[in-house]
Amino acid sequence: MKRRDFIQRALCATASSALFSQFAGKMSIAHAAATAEPRLLGEDYRALVCVYLYGGNDAFNMIVPTSTTEYAQYQAARGALALPSAELLPLTPSVAPTGGGSYGLHASMPLLRGLFNRIATPSPLAIAANVGPLVYPITKSEYQAGSVPVPAQLFSHSDQSVVWQRPAADAITRRGWGGRLADLFHASNTNQQLSMNISIDGENVFQAGDDVVPYFVGENGAQGVANVHPEYDVARRAAFIALRDAAQGNALQRQYATVMRRSMNNEVMITGALAGGGNLTTAFPDTGLGRELRMVARLIKVRATLQMKRQIFFVGLGGFDTHDNQLDDQATQLAQLDGALSAFYAATVEMGVANSVTTFTASEFGRSTSVNGDGTDHGWGGHHLILGGAVNGRRIYGRMPSLVVGGADDAGYGQIIPTASVDQYAATIARWYGVAPADMATVFPNIGRFATPDLGFMSAS
Amino acid sequence: MSRILRRCAWAVAMTAQSSIVLAGGHVFDSGFEDHVEGPWSDAQSARFLTQATFGPDLAEISRVRRMGYNAWVTEQLALPASLHRPYLDAQAAAGLDVYQNSRQEAWWLRAITAPDQLRQRVAFALSELFVVSDRNGTIENEPIAMAAYYDVLVNGAFGSYRTLLENVTLNPVMGHYLSMFKNQKPEGNIRPDENYAREIMQLFSVGLVRLASDGSVMLTGGQPIPTYNQDTIRGFAHVFTGWNWHACPVPQGGQPWEWEYCPSGTNGWVLPMEAWESYHASAGSKQLLAYTGAVGANTGVLPGGGTAVGDLHAALDNIFNHPNVPPFVARHLIKRLVTGNPSAAYVGRVAAIFVNNGSGVRGDLGATVRAVLMDSEARTLPTLASNAGKLREPLLRQSQVWRAFHARADDGRYREWNPEGYLAQASLRSPTVFNFFLPDYRPPGELSTLNLDAAEFQITTDTSIASVANGLGSKVFYAWRGFAFQEPEDVVVDLEPELAFATDAARLVDRYDLLFMNRTMSNFMYQTLVAYVQSMPAGSTQQRRQRVQDAVWLIQSSPEYAIER
Repeated sequence: MKRRDFIQRALCATASSALFSQFAGKMSIAHAAATAEPRLLGEDYRALVCVYLYGGNDAFNMIVPTSTTEYAQYQAARGALALPSAELLPLTPSVAPTGGGSYGLHASMPLLRGLFNRIATPSPLAIAANVGPLVYPITKSEYQAGSVPVPAQLFSHSDQSVVWQRPAADAITRRGWGGRLADLFHASNTNQQLSMNISIDGENVFQAGDDVVPYFVGENGAQGVANVHPEYDVARRAAFIALRDAAQGNALQRQYATVMRRSMNNEVMITGALAGGGNLTTAFPDTGLGRELRMVARLIKVRATLQMKRQIFFVGLGGFDTHDNQLDDQATQLAQLDGALSAFYAATVEMGVANSVTTFTASEFGRSTSVNGDGTDHGWGGHHLILGGAVNGRRIYGRMPSLVVGGADDAGYGQIIPTASVDQYAATIARWYGVAPADMATVFPNIGRFATPDLGFMSAS
Repeated sequence: MSRILRRCAWAVAMTAQSSIVLAGGHVFDSGFEDHVEGPWSDAQSARFLTQATFGPDLAEISRVRRMGYNAWVTEQLALPASLHRPYLDAQAAAGLDVYQNSRQEAWWLRAITAPDQLRQRVAFALSELFVVSDRNGTIENEPIAMAAYYDVLVNGAFGSYRTLLENVTLNPVMGHYLSMFKNQKPEGNIRPDENYAREIMQLFSVGLVRLASDGSVMLTGGQPIPTYNQDTIRGFAHVFTGWNWHACPVPQGGQPWEWEYCPSGTNGWVLPMEAWESYHASAGSKQLLAYTGAVGANTGVLPGGGTAVGDLHAALDNIFNHPNVPPFVARHLIKRLVTGNPSAAYVGRVAAIFVNNGSGVRGDLGATVRAVLMDSEARTLPTLASNAGKLREPLLRQSQVWRAFHARADDGRYREWNPEGYLAQASLRSPTVFNFFLPDYRPPGELSTLNLDAAEFQITTDTSIASVANGLGSKVFYAWRGFAFQEPEDVVVDLEPELAFATDAARLVDRYDLLFMNRTMSNFMYQTLVAYVQSMPAGSTQQRRQRVQDAVWLIQSSPEYAIER
């Protein structure tokens, strides 16, 4: 750790931006080699896309039982918020889900239903049942007795969104498992200036690593700094750069300068690459998430120009905190998710990288099965979607929880205890991404506490 | 003279490889006797005004020097409040369509021109504590109600925190934003909504973990102690039931359709919500916050059988008297007004004034604000190496240059409707109830290593750092009075008074060092700017204006300016 501190200080003291990026790349590799064995994979490309649903998606109204017994239990819990069974889009998994029952998708999601049920070619869409943050596996009686630790501040947005993105529910860091993967793999990229982790939706915990700092672009690309044109503003640019790169005595000033430098250097690279990258044929819906995923697709398209072999993207969609007006509001949000995700998958097919790109959802919690009138409150576990050519689709993985009011999976108030941990969900994806079994416990320190490190929804390689 | 002294100080500091202390000392650079308690220099005065207003101008810098800090604060505390809603009402009365645009206009008008600057600045800080946002679809359609909500903060900025907490709680805008409105008692599988119960504790008052009186986190067995648990949240959720529109025009017959379809009426959106006892969860005791002195012999258990109003008062009293509140509120105000990483002692001193304003009154926000500003840690320029200070919020960067150069449109309106597009910030427009940034956010890298909170960096992405610089630039380069393409509705800065200084590069840079950086500019930055401005021609008015514009924008986009110390 002392060594890392030294490197960090040395980097901060380095004024020249060109020198800075060269130096940063070399030192990071050296550091990784010394402690965590960088995983230099082959020449193939691999990308993860985290689709974060802000506010806590009500997954129990996204994937709903259709079998008689389970639907009746759901209806009893949900009351006026129960979706009519006739409106649900039936799912036809190739293997019955653990615990039995049949399920349907929310009526706003016909395109993803089509991908899930696809038989003509292997389905690219799988469902992970009732995933949530756990410190240890836990039963209802253990939860009620307080005999097994649970994540701190359960049911709180800000805390659970951090917990969901971290590599362990009881870690105290604001580093995410996407950041940890990037620390491990970023040496695979020839390009060591552009971060392996790119967010189209701003700051997030998931992508923050110890060595790798995420880079942020907008839905229309990178934003350049005006008034400092290299040809037309030569003198002003020189003054601007001199002020930007001067040695700063205050760490906050250094941070500002670092972000400004990174922003300008990467903008030149990204804008140039996108300009030369042609366009996608696939049409994306003109929604926030549609535009963000379109930018991800465009960046993947120019991966060779950018010299990237391993990338992790982050996009987001807000509006899932449906304390009120849930029936209308969630339908709108899920329709947006349906359109944007299916378009993105089509774009990966168009680019010939469907098998190399895996997209998955995350959200701070599912919602309570109990209702508060016209909405629901913060819950715990929730179902999630995994999409891509390397996904073993048309299956529901893990165990579907009982929705019986006060039943075995109900922590109280309809807050459903997760039947799979975020660690398992993440580790399943990370294994496909390239994390070796021997490294799994390094990336996910708690993974050994759970029955299996692999929920099975990703193909072998 | 002072410039020369500073250069020496710089050289000494560089030699010693340590930090430098600028400003300070009795530099009588304005030609009159300073007030005995300070400020003793224009730089100190400018620095104070940067913390206490939306930006200093030269006249106010001089005035504070003559008055002294405390007299200025006293004057500000006594000024009548410049409210926001009347501006929207006037537009509506004039037949204009009133949208959120009007509310943003009112915000800028008050920020740039209101005499009660300290009140406006504190109200803005409170709007980042008691967060509502027009990104919520329901309240987006209610600009006048949102302006009235902002006025609750303006009116309450120097009053009692307990009163403010109640006014915020019963405001229908907050009621809709955090769904306390029409929250009803348990029935079947319907449970009281937990949204407001959770956020009033987590975000508005006590926070998640127990704090010592100086704001430091209390530990037991090495772990933080949770302030409350899920039972507490359910207890408060039951308390916050039974509230509907003020003076519902239909009878309160206790029928579900009457509760459900009670219309807002003419003024429902701007009047406090009103209790319907038949929808209040009166039965059953309620778990409130437990602490020494709490209701129920310290257990925090409120007995059942109370009324909606009675339970609400008991619950707000229970929050108000929790020992976390003084350091929690003190830290928020310090972070918004002064510095991102205050010492525990500083938080503790301000919290002590919150506990007792000197007359035995708890929760006096006016006294608390004075304590924030008058503390030695606020009034002493910190060394660079201490890493004290904070990244200036983008809205405050824009307001500062507009106040410095007295910006206005020809008709006095401020049609700056969507500043979030380039500043990543706008009044009452955060993405979530968690404000634009979390108070303890730390970007990966050096700041995390050093354990420095840097909240404002959460909205300083690779994209926004450029868009903020570009937006500020466009306001200086292309929005000045007399610009050939100026439209009558453009807000324009007045650069005319600046032109007289533009022929002397050193004088010009020195002027802006005071106005924008309270004379904390490093010698390197000063020399770089002077050399650059000197290299520009100054023969014509146009050329002199270009000098002004370049100097201002190069400061605004620099790392040294971005961090307020």
